[in-house]
Amino acid sequence: MSMGKPLPHDSAPMHVTGAARYIDDIPVPADCLHLAFGLSHVARGVISSMDLTAVRTAPGVVRVITAADLPGVNDISSAAHDEPLLAPGEVHYHGQPIFLVVATSHRLAREAAAKAEVVIDPKPAILTIDDAVAVRSYFEGGPLTWKRGDVDPAMAKADTIIEGKIEIGGQEHFYLEGQISLASPQDNGDMVLATSTQHPTEIQHKVAEALGTPFHAVRVETRRMGGGFGGKESQGNALAIACAVAAHLTGKPCKMRYDRDDDMIITGKRHDFRIAYKAGVDAKGKLVAVEFDQYVRCGWSQDLSLPVADRAMLHADNAYFIPNIRITSHRMKTNTCSATAFRGFGGPQGMVGIERVMDHMAHRLGMDPLEFRQANFYKKSKPQETPYGQPVKGFILPDLVRQLADTANYKTRRDAIRTWNEKSPILKKGIALTPVKFGISFTLTHLNQAGALVNVYADGSVTINHGGTEMGQGLFQKVAQVAAGEFGIDMGRVRITATDTGKVPNTSATAASSGSDLNGMAVKNAVDQIKDRIARFLAVDGVKPKDVLFADGKVTAGNTVLSFEEAAKMAHENRISLSATGFYATPDISWDRTIGKGHPFYYFAHGAAITEVVIDTLTGENKILRVDILHDVGQSLNPAVDVGQIEGGFVQGAGWLTTEELVWDDKGVLRTHAPSTYKIPACSDRPDVFNVALWNGENHVPTIYRSKAVGEPPLMLGISALMALSDAVGACGEAYPNLSAPATPERVYMAAKKVGAKR
Amino acid sequence: MYAFELERPTTLADAIKALGGEEAQPLSGGQTLIPTLKQRLAMPSTLVSLTGIDELKGIKNEGGTLTIGGATCHADVAKDGSYPALSDLAGHIGDPHVRNRGTIGGSLANNDPSACYPAAALASGATIVTNNREIAADNYFTGLFETALDEGEIITAVKFPIPEKAAYVKFEQPASRFALVGVFVTKGANGVRVAVTGASEGGVFRWTEAEEALSSNFAPSALEGLSVPADGMIGDLHGTPEYRAHLVGVITKRAVMKAG
Ligand SMILES: Cc1cc2nc3c(=O)[nH]c(=O)nc-3n(C[C@H](O)[C@H](O)[C@H](O)COP(=O)(O)OP(=O)(O)OC[C@H]3O[C@@H](n4cnc5c(N)ncnc54)[C@H](O)[C@@H]3O)c2cc1C
Repeated sequence: MSMGKPLPHDSAPMHVTGAARYIDDIPVPADCLHLAFGLSHVARGVISSMDLTAVRTAPGVVRVITAADLPGVNDISSAAHDEPLLAPGEVHYHGQPIFLVVATSHRLAREAAAKAEVVIDPKPAILTIDDAVAVRSYFEGGPLTWKRGDVDPAMAKADTIIEGKIEIGGQEHFYLEGQISLASPQDNGDMVLATSTQHPTEIQHKVAEALGTPFHAVRVETRRMGGGFGGKESQGNALAIACAVAAHLTGKPCKMRYDRDDDMIITGKRHDFRIAYKAGVDAKGKLVAVEFDQYVRCGWSQDLSLPVADRAMLHADNAYFIPNIRITSHRMKTNTCSATAFRGFGGPQGMVGIERVMDHMAHRLGMDPLEFRQANFYKKSKPQETPYGQPVKGFILPDLVRQLADTANYKTRRDAIRTWNEKSPILKKGIALTPVKFGISFTLTHLNQAGALVNVYADGSVTINHGGTEMGQGLFQKVAQVAAGEFGIDMGRVRITATDTGKVPNTSATAASSGSDLNGMAVKNAVDQIKDRIARFLAVDGVKPKDVLFADGKVTAGNTVLSFEEAAKMAHENRISLSATGFYATPDISWDRTIGKGHPFYYFAHGAAITEVVIDTLTGENKILRVDILHDVGQSLNPAVDVGQIEGGFVQGAGWLTTEELVWDDKGVLRTHAPSTYKIPACSDRPDVFNVALWNGENHVPTIYRSKAVGEPPLMLGISALMALSDAVGACGEAYPNLSAPATPERVYMAAKKVGAKR
Repeated sequence: MYAFELERPTTLADAIKALGGEEAQPLSGGQTLIPTLKQRLAMPSTLVSLTGIDELKGIKNEGGTLTIGGATCHADVAKDGSYPALSDLAGHIGDPHVRNRGTIGGSLANNDPSACYPAAALASGATIVTNNREIAADNYFTGLFETALDEGEIITAVKFPIPEKAAYVKFEQPASRFALVGVFVTKGANGVRVAVTGASEGGVFRWTEAEEALSSNFAPSALEGLSVPADGMIGDLHGTPEYRAHLVGVITKRAVMKAG
């Protein structure tokens, strides 16, 4: 059986030898053209003149395209139709594409683009959350509030109240493979694209719209991405559409990739947030009321900001029962790049908000933060409802957290750290345990569906195809394990094929951690159909179809034992179809986002992390000393892949909250647009002691082999790093550290200084 | 990149001749100059490579003075070890690529406010030797990216008196690993010298107050209560002037401690 085995990623040997093909490795025809955008150099203004003569006459330039030259709709947005491919007259952020150069090489295209003379009359730009609040620059006209209970009277009766505010920075995806697309024109004006995207179907739809053709005239293929992290959910649209339009106008294949600086400047990032909070507890230390104002910097267009901000609200409770709660979400429209999906999709920011409240309140009460957290967990025995009315079923965090705290010696270490800190005036250690409860499903209910195509060939070899995309996360291997396991054949017989809108149509983005849940089920559904046909054919002489066994490379029907190969050959010769499409739609979900009530999630994934850090109070330098993680993936489809996701998720989450700092200047120019100024964690930054274990259990709802989604949830384990730093800073004095994120050395130093001064 | 002429002389004399031409500029490791050209921040029509000139390369330790050829790369200085603090500094510049290409002459000619070598030269009381004179480090660094070098003048060598005690401590900007603040301290025949890089809007500078305090007591405790004003410190995306000013004090103490 292949299921549950820690098999390496299917492409691992190719990844390390460089043999794995990415879009830029695909050989292109000799006449392939290359594209580059000309970008706005101001954050907001009106284009008063645009002289592109020097661009048109530059070496290698074949064509220059402006908004007026586009054959179809000028839009790259996922839904709102508010994001032109090329600015038609007004520009809304520094780095917005204004025109498109088509040239004989990537370099000539870029060089030509730099020769434009574009005059933009600047208008006052709205850059920060404060700017936007001051002029009420909101999406949807104003804030959105969801609530449960009655916050104000409950707060008035609370024994202890805290109030505060945390700033949470954004995050650059920093996928290793940048955004890239390749379009090849076909017969009848059809277009075939190879694109690095998490959402081939959206690329197909947007390209069709731009060319004015039906969807069937566009086919999009994605074999793998060199990382996506949400940054390739909608951000690939611009390049794919640009390539398709240029290919349509020139009749030649066209390729476009962003230079790294352009990639960082043009594309959206994780939303930065400001979260203001007020929370009250009763005399027993139980939360009675919490109020959040979540300010979200969305950038200039809507993109995915509404569902991102919704998910932040949906995770404002994390693991805690809060009887009275009011969450107000302010989606601010600013003249900065349009913030987009990023692993966790708003969930992490919402969760930082409540974890900050837990940390702050425990500090105020003088309680161990873990005990305070545990005291406020949802009840395990009798499901309590989330603020949005979904009963929290299958809630394992009380047990999981207890087990983690025990095995990692949380209590002893915390006491030891206290003693150590008393004797250490300059270095201070800190420790924190934070839990994760993350809702699994797209909040837009109709996206929770998937299709698959499974072919068995007459020699017994198998290809599988589905709507999910591979971005290094191991989805393809997990789904191949499902197919091999169901057919009872070894992995070598199953060939994984590129995601292709021509094979499986109308797919959803590989996002919301849903890849294996949806596509694993859809593939199983297709496999079941083929098995059923073979079984019916072989079930003779009193053998029932359901008793035909597929195992160990054999098909057994009563006394007849065939190799899988023989069974396939026989079935084919007897005119049995060996190809099937599969389908899956997640059950039991419903959601009304305007009132914020429903059952948006099929289930929750859980996890917890303990992080221990040390800080230097003289400089704010800090280091993660040890991390212990216990994470719930249900019954793991592949423990090796799952542990890899958990390790990577933690490191990426900790990077977001500690070293990764995006800086825009007062002109709205992103100053951190390269690895020389923006620090992502490297291999050497991972914790020296890094213990990751999988929770032993299965999903309480029927998912594929009772497994659970693993893509996004572990990112939020990184919140423990921020809270551990807060704990270490707290050791400098009496006051609460009020640490914002990212907790760079300078922020840690300043916080420690403040806390120390109030001693 | 744009088109330019590349000269590869093998003697100093030929190099100087080539530099006499119009718009000619010396090229050493190219670690700073090539990116500068790519961004068109400079567009010399001729580059005169110095890395093929043997007389500009190599390290000699004679009578307590270390003489390093202008075209010697960081990796060679790191390997040398006769002035341990200097080798330590060179070994922590950038990455292996930068250390095997970048040169001491290029670094000192460039005088980047965040570069490491200027602190070593100033704190050691080094002498910058050019094709036509010798310049004391105290007179050499004249401001941000500014030096006492004349047009076409080449750094042929740098002479470092090896002090009794010395150390360099760099507080790295984590992304690029350039110095957010770097401090080089020495104690030797010239007394105590403290040079600070990365921090000031005027480039590398000597912290004379600290030097005085350390002269009577070469120990971190001697610096207690001393600080540089935030005024005039660099404020950029990596740190505020206040933070940098504070770090100068901390990093100087660390350097003194490291020097022992
Ligand atoms: C990724 C990276 C990280 C780095 N990290 C650090 C760091 O941590 N600390 C640090 O100090 N530096 C750092 N550097 C800078 C590096 O040390 C400098 O690029 C290098 O010292 C410059 O020397 P070069 O030989 O490459 O000079 P070039 O780039 O060839 O030249 C630089 C300038 O000096 C002139 N010049 C060159 N040689 C001479 C000479 N002999 N006489 C007169 N003028 C000359 C050139 O005309 C040019 O104007 C880093 C660089 C990179 C790319």
